[in-house]
Amino acid sequence: MNKPKIQDADAVPAPQLFPAAAYAPGRAYDEMFAADGGVRPHYAALHDRMATLTSAELAERQRMLEQLFLLQGITFTVYGADAATERIIPTDLFPRIIPAKEWAQIEAGLTQRLTALNLFLADVYGDQKILMDGVVPRELVLGAPSYRREMRGLFVPHKAYVNVCGSDLIRGEDGRFAVLEDNLRVPSGVSYMLANRDASKRTFPATFKAAGVRPVERYPDLLLATLKSLAADWRPSPQVVVLTPGVYNSAYYEHAYLARLMGAPLVEGRDLVVHDNMVYMRTTTGLRRVDVIYRRVDDDFIDPLTFRRDSGLGAAGLFNAYRAGNVVIANAPGAGVADDKAVYAYVPDIIRYYLAEEPILPNVETYLCREPAQLDHVLANLDKLVVKAVGESGGYGMLIGVHASAAEREAFAERLRAAPDNYIAQPTVQLSTAPCLTGGRIEPRHVDLRPFILCGEHTVVTPGALTRVALRRGSLVVNSSQGGGSKDTWVLHDDGGEPQP
Amino acid sequence: MMLARVADSLYWIGRYIERAEHISRLSNVMLTASLEQSEAAAEAAHMALAAVGDPDEHLAGRTPFEAVRAMVFDRDDLGSVVSSLARGRENARQVRDQITTETWERLNMLYLRIIDPQAEAEFDRGQSAFLHDVVADLHLFKGAADATMSHGEGWRFLLLGVYLERAQLIGRLLDVCFGEAAGGKPLQDHLAQMSLLRMACALEPYLRAYTADLQPRFILEFLLFDEDFPHSVRFAAAQIETHLLRLGRHAEAAAHAGPERLAGRLNARLAFADPKELTASGAGPLLRTVSDECARIHQGVYETFVAYPLEQRLPA
Repeated sequence: MNKPKIQDADAVPAPQLFPAAAYAPGRAYDEMFAADGGVRPHYAALHDRMATLTSAELAERQRMLEQLFLLQGITFTVYGADAATERIIPTDLFPRIIPAKEWAQIEAGLTQRLTALNLFLADVYGDQKILMDGVVPRELVLGAPSYRREMRGLFVPHKAYVNVCGSDLIRGEDGRFAVLEDNLRVPSGVSYMLANRDASKRTFPATFKAAGVRPVERYPDLLLATLKSLAADWRPSPQVVVLTPGVYNSAYYEHAYLARLMGAPLVEGRDLVVHDNMVYMRTTTGLRRVDVIYRRVDDDFIDPLTFRRDSGLGAAGLFNAYRAGNVVIANAPGAGVADDKAVYAYVPDIIRYYLAEEPILPNVETYLCREPAQLDHVLANLDKLVVKAVGESGGYGMLIGVHASAAEREAFAERLRAAPDNYIAQPTVQLSTAPCLTGGRIEPRHVDLRPFILCGEHTVVTPGALTRVALRRGSLVVNSSQGGGSKDTWVLHDDGGEPQP
Repeated sequence: MMLARVADSLYWIGRYIERAEHISRLSNVMLTASLEQSEAAAEAAHMALAAVGDPDEHLAGRTPFEAVRAMVFDRDDLGSVVSSLARGRENARQVRDQITTETWERLNMLYLRIIDPQAEAEFDRGQSAFLHDVVADLHLFKGAADATMSHGEGWRFLLLGVYLERAQLIGRLLDVCFGEAAGGKPLQDHLAQMSLLRMACALEPYLRAYTADLQPRFILEFLLFDEDFPHSVRFAAAQIETHLLRLGRHAEAAAHAGPERLAGRLNARLAFADPKELTASGAGPLLRTVSDECARIHQGVYETFVAYPLEQRLPA
């Protein structure tokens, strides 16, 4: 273990901040350094560039980056006691790099997974063969709150229930990617992917050019094409709109950003009028028909007549218009049943069932607390496991056994015994780490990966992703609502790219 | 074609921006005038304060400096510069997809600057420079909108807001100096006359038109009737008419409450007014007409483009 951390340490003058012996990856897989301390080849160019920058230069670049975000209004709003303050999403200036070969595998795996999940949704809202064959327990699907009986037997264009998907991938200690969560409802973060890319082109222009990074800038027009492909073919130029809950939503910036880049109106529920099962928006020149709604509002809130009655965010009668085939809602209502945390455990079986293929991307090992034997195992190993509530997201309602106190674990065990159906448990995965600038030093921080997949007539995986960062040392929680940040993700054209500083 | 809500927001961005600019300029002129030891200084202060609200309430034992500070930074006062900018920017945030990044950045930067905790300290170090920069930044905003936004519907709603607000603000300022509020007392003092011209951003254009011969009658004529000066009431009315004519082109004929007709009438009234009438009966009646007509146009814009009754617009 006495090998030098950095192979070319001699070539680098002393005062530079990086490489530094202080960078200690720990036992997690590090994106930049191999286990023997050598720099992974696809990171070599960035590593050399980082080594030439002083601490002051890095701080200056970080400051410029934050200024850019602030100026563009890439902020989320924190509501306090008296005043609302806007904060920028913490963003790190070093990109995370994924070589072409690894990406090819991720791309194939995600396409396979989403194809199977769309087939699964078409089945559970159709003939329910998979339930009859007993591959997935019937009550698990039909009893889930995210299962919408209203969707039974409805026509869905191309049978694409999920049109925009943002899966969460993690890389374990063995360096393999696995799927942690399928986000099939209203996944967000794509605007940060695009904004981070803009920023990293300014921060490391030469390294970016030399690396041969695949572009992500086509996302907005691919999204528009996907949405248009859902419209009825007798509508020659379909009107696409983005439905937002409004300016007070924490992802509002993203909604406005996508609407602007797609050239589609950004509507709120109050802009929509449903008349005679047609959806219209109120414009300055009267009412105008809407064909496709890319909604960024949860199922529960899109139509007070069908779902939650107290919702002011949707449009009354919208679901009936959808049922009549006069408007398309993307993603389809009820798609969330396939990313239910309990259904998640069955996804490998779902892939085998519909596609007769082995899953390319594995799941994280999952214990279903609804099974008594597995519940016993979970209760016995509560200090090693992560327990999640089935219906929650965003890092809420979960217990990270390793970091919890005995009292917290005991309280959680009570809840588990009371309602085991509501919980699943997974081993604590040491997410991979990547170098991040924190407090003037470069340190390893845990990261995950959220790629974005579009599915309409065709399925497209955007060659890029949002890398989410747990900003506190040792923390494994990357959710932006829980103090996570983000960084740009470079997917390389090919791995033989000439490394240049 | 654009969303009614979006048109509404753009219209209000225009109004708030114009208001912030006007108050900043008024404050700056008032502070400069208050450096003089004379009656006229008090008159200038009174003029500025009356043009934005109740002067006694504003002053209420405060020095002009303190009053200006409140006019700029008091967030509880809905008419203050910071309130107007915050509301303008909030509206812009709600229609962020409709305005160009260049335009948004100018407004966002100015907003971030004025809510910065250091802003008041900066103001205290040099009030005039601070206010001058605010006005200059707002000009940059308008310039960016002009240079980068499509001169289509959205841009027209923005400018409609700007000019409607301007017609009302200049009208109010003139009313304080020449209308019934002035009690028929003509504006005699040279410094007060200069201050008035500066408050309307009109000093240099006036001098080119009438030379340095300052006459209350000429000042009133210039600010009310000049065809080419962008801060005259007539110019604003002409712009309002132009924008409404273009906007009304696509609105369904059945639903016309006719804001463009109102605007055309107001414009004609100013264009063909007889200046002699002003000398005979004072400017009060005409200024009141301007104010009333502006309010009616605002109402008409709402009824035609924003808050129209759905029953009339549903497909048969």
